[in-house]
Amino acid sequence: MDISTVIAGTRFDNPVFLASGIVDETLKSVERAIKSGAGAAVTKSIGKDERAGYVPPIISELPTGMLNAVGLANPGIDDFIDEFKTSSLKEKIVVSIFGKDSEEFLELAKKVQDAGFTTIELNLSCPHVKGYGSEVGEDPELVEEIIKELKSKTNLKVWAKLTPNVTHIVDIAKAAERADALVLINTVKAIGVNIWARKFSLTNGIGGYSGPGIKPIALRAVYDVYKETGKELIGVGGITTYEDAIEFMLLGAKAIQVGTAIYYKDFKIFNEISQGIMNYLEMEGFGSLQEIIGLMVK
Amino acid sequence: MKFSNIVSVKKIGRDFFEISFNIDSEVRAGQFLMVWVPGVKEIPMSVSNLKNPITISFKAIGETTKRLSAMRPGDRIFYRGPYGNTYPDPKGKTAYVAGGTGIASLLPLISAYPGDVYYGMRTAEDIVYKNLVNFVSTDDGSMGFKGNVVDLFIREKRKYDTVFVCGPEPMMKYFHDKINRNEYGNIYYSLERLMKCGVGICDSCSINGFRVCRDGTVFDHEQLNIMDEFGTVRRAESGRRIFLK
Repeated sequence: MDISTVIAGTRFDNPVFLASGIVDETLKSVERAIKSGAGAAVTKSIGKDERAGYVPPIISELPTGMLNAVGLANPGIDDFIDEFKTSSLKEKIVVSIFGKDSEEFLELAKKVQDAGFTTIELNLSCPHVKGYGSEVGEDPELVEEIIKELKSKTNLKVWAKLTPNVTHIVDIAKAAERADALVLINTVKAIGVNIWARKFSLTNGIGGYSGPGIKPIALRAVYDVYKETGKELIGVGGITTYEDAIEFMLLGAKAIQVGTAIYYKDFKIFNEISQGIMNYLEMEGFGSLQEIIGLMVK
Repeated sequence: MKFSNIVSVKKIGRDFFEISFNIDSEVRAGQFLMVWVPGVKEIPMSVSNLKNPITISFKAIGETTKRLSAMRPGDRIFYRGPYGNTYPDPKGKTAYVAGGTGIASLLPLISAYPGDVYYGMRTAEDIVYKNLVNFVSTDDGSMGFKGNVVDLFIREKRKYDTVFVCGPEPMMKYFHDKINRNEYGNIYYSLERLMKCGVGICDSCSINGFRVCRDGTVFDHEQLNIMDEFGTVRRAESGRRIFLK
């Protein structure tokens, strides 16, 4: 059964990708995800300068998922490139970048392109760092300007990862129209409280909520954006089984990403979901993955 | 995040403390807890006694461990876990090779399975668990063999079917490089790295794609053979590589 998928003209063997921010700070871990069956792997978000991130606790385990505020920890673009440029799996590695404006995004993107990578994912959605991520991504004009700049001045394929923490995600999706693909959604802005310590669960207080609890929110975002824009979409948010993946595909996602699911099922998640998708397609009488993408919206 | 009321806090050596408290899940040898001091930090700590009240043993060197050492019976200690894999049960003649606070992680095995205990520290003042230790080394020669515990172990020329090693990474790297592999059966190392999440998702503690918190902390000798970053590259909190000599 063919479960390959094409995103922005690039063909991937399967539609199950590693989401940004989960076991993807080091090259060998990213390669481990790919060797474990990920169709592609998105790196941790990389900025211009080194950031240590927040003091632990940076995660909090919940019955329905997880809260995190890692704080965009990253070595800075130059050290990142130094480590990742040696990879022989570059065509399956998507580099996530974050910046405060179009100038910073462009500077990062050029370095990524020069190092031989072909696709970037824009972090327009991290909910817990001031001046970056969702603070950029909830401003439609800024989103439009950043993507215009990147598409006109680089040859990179650009995936834009959007935040669900806005009133109308379709407006942001339309602002990001020049992106080659949209990634929906990043974590949901959230807080955890420890009543016995009378402190926030996370050192940063504010964090991002991921895992099974946010899946319905992500499905709604994918559905609305697909219906309104018809853009190429990658679904992410609470996917831990092949059934979850199929739900996103029926609503228009050409691929999906898993993150928090690694916490539940570890690296075997990639092959498990791919195999489940194959079985489903066969059992339900479909000839390829393409036949179910957006089936419920058409 | 859970909490428990501390049963006891004991000072057992220079800056070395044991805190005991009851927990509601089973802990196995080699596993660790993420211990949180609200308002300060959350850090990984190995469990040195597995039966309730369980014990964590540590040196008070940073702000978090200093705050823990100042806690009193009845105070709340916050934790999550246990996490990580476990030491396998030893077979045959067994040796334990510990450097500094690395002995804490080996204690559950030492008390369950008799064997020769080699313990290395900086100076005689740092001695803890004296009655459990068979061979001592100190950097300054103030007690036992003068030099490091790996050289002491090699000098003793004893044969073992199972060897467990826990200590600072440079010490374990030296052990891994120096020993004659053919003279021993299985060799297991418990690694320690900067850890943030404890559950295998943040990638802070990874060595060549092996996450110390989830794939370890215990690795065997042959797994370390394929980790060329072991003892040569560590990671800053940002994930930046720091190359060691």
